Amino acid sequence: MPKENSLSDYINKSNKITKVFDRKIRISLLSSFTINGLSEILKVKSAERNISCTVYEAPYNQYSQEILNKKSDLYKFLPDMTFLIIDARNIFGEIFRFPYSISHLERAKIVENKINELKNLLDNYIENSNSKIIVTKLNVPSFSPNGIFESKTEYSFHNMIEDFNEQLTKNYLNSENIFVYDFDKFIAKNGEDNVFNYSQFFFGDLKISMDFLPVLGQDLMKYVIGYLGITKKCIVLDLDNTLWGGIVGEDGFNGIKLGPEPPGNVFMEFQRVLLSLHQRGIILAINSKNNFEDAIKVIKEHPYMILREEHFAAMYINWNDKVSNMKEIIKEINIGSDSLVFIDDDPVNREFVKSVFPEILVINLSNDPSSYILEIENLIDFSVLKITDEDRNRGKMYLKQKKIIELEKTSTDLQTFLDQLDLKISIKEVNEFTLPRVSQLILKTNQFNLTTKRYQETDIGKMIKDSNFIVTCIQVEDKFGDNGITGVFIIKKENEKEWRIDTFLMSCRIMGRDIEKGIMAHIINKAKENNIQKINADFIPTQKNKPIENFLSDHEFKKEGQSWTYKIKSKIKFPKYLRMEIE
Amino acid sequence: MSNKLYEIISRVMKIDISTISDELGPKTIENWTSFNGYVLLNELETGFNVKFTIDEAMDVENIADVKRHLVNKGIIIDE
Repeated sequence: MPKENSLSDYINKSNKITKVFDRKIRISLLSSFTINGLSEILKVKSAERNISCTVYEAPYNQYSQEILNKKSDLYKFLPDMTFLIIDARNIFGEIFRFPYSISHLERAKIVENKINELKNLLDNYIENSNSKIIVTKLNVPSFSPNGIFESKTEYSFHNMIEDFNEQLTKNYLNSENIFVYDFDKFIAKNGEDNVFNYSQFFFGDLKISMDFLPVLGQDLMKYVIGYLGITKKCIVLDLDNTLWGGIVGEDGFNGIKLGPEPPGNVFMEFQRVLLSLHQRGIILAINSKNNFEDAIKVIKEHPYMILREEHFAAMYINWNDKVSNMKEIIKEINIGSDSLVFIDDDPVNREFVKSVFPEILVINLSNDPSSYILEIENLIDFSVLKITDEDRNRGKMYLKQKKIIELEKTSTDLQTFLDQLDLKISIKEVNEFTLPRVSQLILKTNQFNLTTKRYQETDIGKMIKDSNFIVTCIQVEDKFGDNGITGVFIIKKENEKEWRIDTFLMSCRIMGRDIEKGIMAHIINKAKENNIQKINADFIPTQKNKPIENFLSDHEFKKEGQSWTYKIKSKIKFPKYLRMEIE
Repeated sequence: MSNKLYEIISRVMKIDISTISDELGPKTIENWTSFNGYVLLNELETGFNVKFTIDEAMDVENIADVKRHLVNKGIIIDE
């Protein structure tokens, strides 16, 4: 069983939460059986991540009524996220025990009807609420009255439930608002006989045992992390006894444990897991105390090394302490330290990093390397509700970034560097294709973000259709290639003479290239064309957006009370080194 | 052993250890809801490494009942 606190611990702790955090989430719980305690678990687990979580728990097995009645407490609660937890006993009723009292055609018909019922219900909810909804797949029980003949049975009892799950998934494959949680995989991982306890089921209609409810809560937190965009973005790795066994400086190139035979296969497989995460957008970096030459030889030349130089956005291999290296890595990759995960086999290094950067997720690796993989697989911190093309190409982007940094080092001054970069900025109105990426930037960008307003995809979808808003994204290309969509601004038309910059942000990848000057020039010129006299803006300081604090004053905005204002006189010129393309 | 028992009851029912007595039950302990009743039994099962039958679970109406079932399972409760 995974390490978890008891249900009563969660209930007690949840009563003691007094702190109110900046990050907030409202969750509704709907279910076909008793899930008492889950709300307390979610509250405590949220608070542990500095999130204030408010929960509405609907009376059990009344989810249909709650959804169909537009005046129900469910709608009044205005949830951000709703979990609908259902089970096969409830969905199929008597058929759950007597599937073979009817024909296979009748079984198929029942599944079709049940899927349609659920679809109507979910569509209805999405139409009437702004909440995302996460519906659970059904658990496919291991038992069947047909026993081993089950797999010889046409549209069997097990097929019924599998088909239900498959159709459910298919219906919402491209939905922005409806997500399907694989409860069956949860059971597969934790064991049907552990999660489902007949005694608790008969005694209190509990279909998830009390010991495993916290484990489920932990898994559901993935959606909270994804929704709030507080996903970890980068794994910083040690080398000796982490990516390979042994110490390269002592054991030598041929002496380290890395290869298809045990124990080297442990490290090869661990590297494969890391590479698979890298392929979906997690950045990798190295922080190692080693002779650079020894280590880089392994990375470049070892026949069984899976991760190579091109997979690392930054490599700090030297004799500096781990904290100093970590500071350099944060600077070079240019991301918030709270989006880092640190993996090192040495507990002393781990403690040292943790003491200076409590916000970094430091993995407490066990002393058995064969358990490293599971520790990574069990992390919920990489959860995202969407994976975009930008995510998949992130590794290549950082490689490009490295080349840009080299160019910057060889350039004599900033102007020469910017000229050589050959920057091209495309300014585009946001459409349905760019919407997911724009929403992702709005949820995740912390540093160069003027107001840090967080909008979900549906919110931005509404703004696009609203003529009072201009929602624009910025794509940046340079001599090394395309950076993709890396900036967003939203203008709110306050009246015929005034606009307000509601949102202005740029990804850290393109910071420090004066791109913002071009974008601001564009906003001012566009305002002028629309006979606007004043542009208003707010700077909302956070712990992280210091890089943008002088942005408004640098662009000649004047502070008026709480707000900033720019009086438009004439159009202004774009910086010479930027090629602007306005669509 | 009663320290451990009382500690669990106190934690689940949110009452002070010193106030626990045999005759207390759902009628006298505010937090002894039906759900907390299940939680209590579950915590006792884990804490004392025992299993209650459904009859035993249904039979619990006060602390004395809890003690009786634990004693029947060989747990020593010294007062």
